[in-house]
Parts: sequence; structure tokens; C-alpha cells
Amino acid sequence: MAAWARRVAAGSAGSPAASAAWSRRQALATDLRTIVGRAYPRVRAMMRERSWMFFEILLPFLATSTFVFVYRAVHAPPEYVGFVVLGGAMTAFWLNVIWMMAGQLWWEKSQGNLELYFAAPMDVMAVLIGMAIGGLILSSSRAAVVLVVATVVYGVSFQVDQWLLLALVFGLTLAALYGLGMVLASLFLMWGREAFHLTQLLQEPVYFISGLNFPIGRLGFIGALAISLLPLAVGLDAMRQLAFARSDYPKGTPSPAIEALILVIMTVVSLALARWMLRTLERLARREGRLSVRWQ
Amino acid sequence: MTTRSPAVHEPKFGTPAWGGFDPARTRGRGAADVRRAFSTATRLGWQMEANWTDPVLFFIYSVAKPISSALIFVVMIDVIGGGSTRELRGFVVVGTALWSFVMSGIAGLAWSILDDRERYRMLKYVYVSPSSFLIVLLGRGVARIAVGAIGALITLAVGIALLGIPISLGNIDWPMLVAVMIAGLVTIVAVGMMLAAVCLQTRQESWSYPEAAAGALFLVSGAVFPLSVLPAPAQLLGYLSPLSWWIEGVRRAIMPGVGIGALGGPGSIFAEVIGRASPSSPEIIVALLGTGALVTLGAIVGFRLSDHRARDRGLLDQTTGS
Repeated sequence: MAAWARRVAAGSAGSPAASAAWSRRQALATDLRTIVGRAYPRVRAMMRERSWMFFEILLPFLATSTFVFVYRAVHAPPEYVGFVVLGGAMTAFWLNVIWMMAGQLWWEKSQGNLELYFAAPMDVMAVLIGMAIGGLILSSSRAAVVLVVATVVYGVSFQVDQWLLLALVFGLTLAALYGLGMVLASLFLMWGREAFHLTQLLQEPVYFISGLNFPIGRLGFIGALAISLLPLAVGLDAMRQLAFARSDYPKGTPSPAIEALILVIMTVVSLALARWMLRTLERLARREGRLSVRWQ
Repeated sequence: MTTRSPAVHEPKFGTPAWGGFDPARTRGRGAADVRRAFSTATRLGWQMEANWTDPVLFFIYSVAKPISSALIFVVMIDVIGGGSTRELRGFVVVGTALWSFVMSGIAGLAWSILDDRERYRMLKYVYVSPSSFLIVLLGRGVARIAVGAIGALITLAVGIALLGIPISLGNIDWPMLVAVMIAGLVTIVAVGMMLAAVCLQTRQESWSYPEAAAGALFLVSGAVFPLSVLPAPAQLLGYLSPLSWWIEGVRRAIMPGVGIGALGGPGSIFAEVIGRASPSSPEIIVALLGTGALVTLGAIVGFRLSDHRARDRGLLDQTTGS
């Protein structure tokens, strides 16, 4: 209360321009509050409505089971069941990235919140980071449950020799994935209904070219292209190599260390690209009056 | 002094020819109203589905999902089999093509609820209009089913042309195909109604629920592997699902000479209980009609209950965020 009173007093003493000239510390504190504020509803949502446990854990687990039984039907080696389980767990993150990151700003626009974001004294990148952190926590819980339950039910045995590298690759995959989500969110800022439809287009086709349920090396050139462009493809391939180190994993893809490096590059590029695109597309959207156009 | 006939000034009920009150406006026009509401909702649904982009991108969008799904399974069996048989490829391509139809049917109705309540905030206005809410919902769902049907047909065409699946127009059992398609379509719409009933009760994130539900049903429907691979309780669920009988019926109708089937076979509970390797075509139709009728009745009851609860709790205009 005292701090607020001091700010009001300082503001009234100076010009409006002086009041608006925030120190670095003020700007940073506001952005941090923004990150926490935007992540909060997603974290709280984990406990507010319990129906997600059925729809977002049990049902995706059953969907993952379908791929397990396809491999069982054709008498595949047991590690292929492990590949599917790992892919099924990573699906939670990808779905979160495309539905709750990429499509979110378009969704906020439809709900009438987007103009409030841009009118508030904060960096919109902080909103995106808050969305990413909240979504990451939310998805981690779902992915972990699917991974643990499927591992127990289908008797998957992991053979990890390099735990540290595996943890690093997992962290980098998430960073690159959510970085890509920020890029897509900026891009979707310009779009209307096509954003919703294109979000759907990012599901099965991406699952296919990312090798979500089979070793991506089998796709040849398409697989190589996916490894160089899609964090899901490269991260999953590296994690499979590390999690099933002693299995007969199909060759033809880079080593996990090189794939970790690819993920670092993807993360840096996607964050820089997201920042640039957000600025550029915000300017364009303001000029074309698209920030507040709803229901197109 | 002239006096004007009071008939000119006072409208009389039952005299619409001169502009009076038409009692049908309150009573409704029965089938004509239903037809009009359905066709308007269908047209609206189609425009919402299709007019967001140019026809080329819309075509790519419509076929990319089902073709990718089919390719995932084709590559999976190729990875292990090192060049699977045409019959096995045909089995998974037909299953995934039909499943894209199921997904569209299930998602269409549920997403109509979410679209109108959460995005356009029109659900309450649709609800208080004279049209039947369920008819409007069904009309909206038809457009998505049409998109799914296009995707399924193109996937089958790609399968025949590029993957060599053994389907020939001359060999198709057309009467059986027509019978199972009609019964299957009604069943798919019924399952969609059930999901719509769920989405009336849940929040914004329910966008993913239809796909999650379809993914779970995929497991027990014999779309991409024989049910005999599953544990007995899951097999039983599969035999109770009309979608399993529908997919098997369509497979029998379009690939009559192919020996691979999803129902029956060694180790299946069908073979153990009935004593024969697999069901006959008439048995498939009868089972589809029986299980489909149960699901349809359940969907109608479930939707009515959900509708009542939504009105009771004020859920029709409640929006959520995350």
C-alpha cells in the first residue's frame, strides 16, 4: 500500500511521460508478474476440473495402446512397444503446444482478451513465456502419468546408459517445442478461422513425419528433413536412442549428442524468431486492424 | 360519412391470406420446420467448415489427416514386416480411412456445441430459437461428416493407386455396403451426440475430447488389428461396439475375397463362444443393427439428460478460459 502511495505521489509530481518511463527493474518485475499470472490458470486448472484425468490421461493412454497392439499383432520386437510409449507421452506436449500455445492468441482474440494484452504495460513475450511454462507443467503431469502407466502395463524396460544426456535432451526438446509454439502463436495472430483448421493439420501429418510411432530413420529423406526442422522429430529420436541404448535401434539418424546440438540451435532460433515475428506481426496486425477482429 | 370495415383494421386469426396472424407461427409447421432448420444448419456448417480458405488448401486439409493416419500404420507394419502383403495393407488402409469418417462424425456435433458456446457465444440464441436444438446440431454435424467422407474416399483412392490395396469396383458387394453404411452412419451420429452431451457439461478445453474418445474407441474397434490380439475383456467391449461391426461389414463389402478380418479368428472370444472362426455377413449386419440401436437410444437419453442439466445449471451461456 505504501509503495503504491509513493508511486502515485511520484507520478503526480512528474509529467505523464516521466511516470511512463519505467526503470529496468520495474519493467522486469512486471514481466515476471505477467509470466506468473499467465501460467497460474493453467497450473490451477490441473485441480479445478477433474474430468481431464479421464479425457486427457485415460483416453490418450488407450490411444497409445492401439499402437502397442498393432506392433504386438505383427510380432514386433519388445523395444518397439517402448518407442510407442515414449511417443505417446510426447504427444501430450505436442498437443499442448499446438492447441494451447499456437492457437492461444487467436483464441484470446476471439474471446476479446487480446486487445487487453496489448493495452497492458507488459511485454507480450512474457505472456507467451507464461503460457509456455503453465502449459509445460500441465502437460508434464499428463505425459508422466501416460509414461508410467503404459510402462507398467506393457512391461517396457528402458536401458539408459547416459541419464544426464537423456535429461538434457528432454529439457532441450521441451524448450525447442515451446519455442516453436511461440513462433506459431505469433503467426496465428494474423489469422482468423484458418488458425483453428491449421492447428488440426499439425496433428496426424506431424505425427507421421516425426516418426511418433516408428523409428524416423525409416522415412529416409522425409525423416532427415523432419529432424532438421521439427523439435518433436529430433528430440524423440535422440530420446529413443538414449532410452533404449542396448536395443537394435535402426541406424540412419545422427547421434544423440549431435541431435542435442540441433535442439539447442532450434531453441535459440525459435525464440529469436518468435520475438521478431511477434513485433513484426503485431505492427502489421495493428495497421490492418486485426487485433480486435473477432469471429472471422 | 363513410365507415370502414373493421375487418381492414382488426387482424383475425386464421386468415393469413390477407396478412393476419398465422397460427402455424406458434404451433410450428412440423416436418417443414424440421427440414428447414436442418438444411439451414447444414448450409451454415458447410460454410464454416469450407469457406475459410481457397478450395485447393481446403482439399489438402481434408485429405492430409486421413492419409497421414493411414501412412503411419502402413509404415509401422512395413518396418516390422519389411514389405507387408497387399491384404494387410488393405486391412489397415480401409480401417484408418473409415476411422477418419468416425472422427469427423464424432467431432462435428461436439465441436458445434463448443463453437457456438465458447467462440461465437451464440448457443443461447440458437437454443431459444423456434428450431429444435437437436436438429440444428445434427445439421451442423453433417458438414463435418461430409468432409470426413471426402477424406475417407481419397484415402481409399490413394491406397488403391499407390499402395496396391485389393479393391475393385466390380467385386464390391453393393447391397451389403449400402446396408452397413446407413446403419453405421446413424451409429456414428449417435456417438457424436453422446460427445456433444459431454461437451455441454465441460469446459473450453473439451476441443480435444472427441479425438480422445475416438482414439480410445479405435483400440477396441478392430480398425487396424484383429480384436483377438486384445485381452478378453477388451475384446468383449469391441464386440459390444457397433463401430467394430460397421468396419468389419464395410471391409467384407469392399474386399470380399480377402481373408484377413478383425472379428473372430484363432484365440478370439467369438470363436470360443460361437464355435466358428468368424461371423457371417448377415450376422455382421444383425449385430450392427442391434448394437447400433442400443447406442442410438442411449445417446438420445444421454443428450436429453445433459440438455436438462445444462439448463438447470446455466451452462448454456457459460464460457471458460485457461
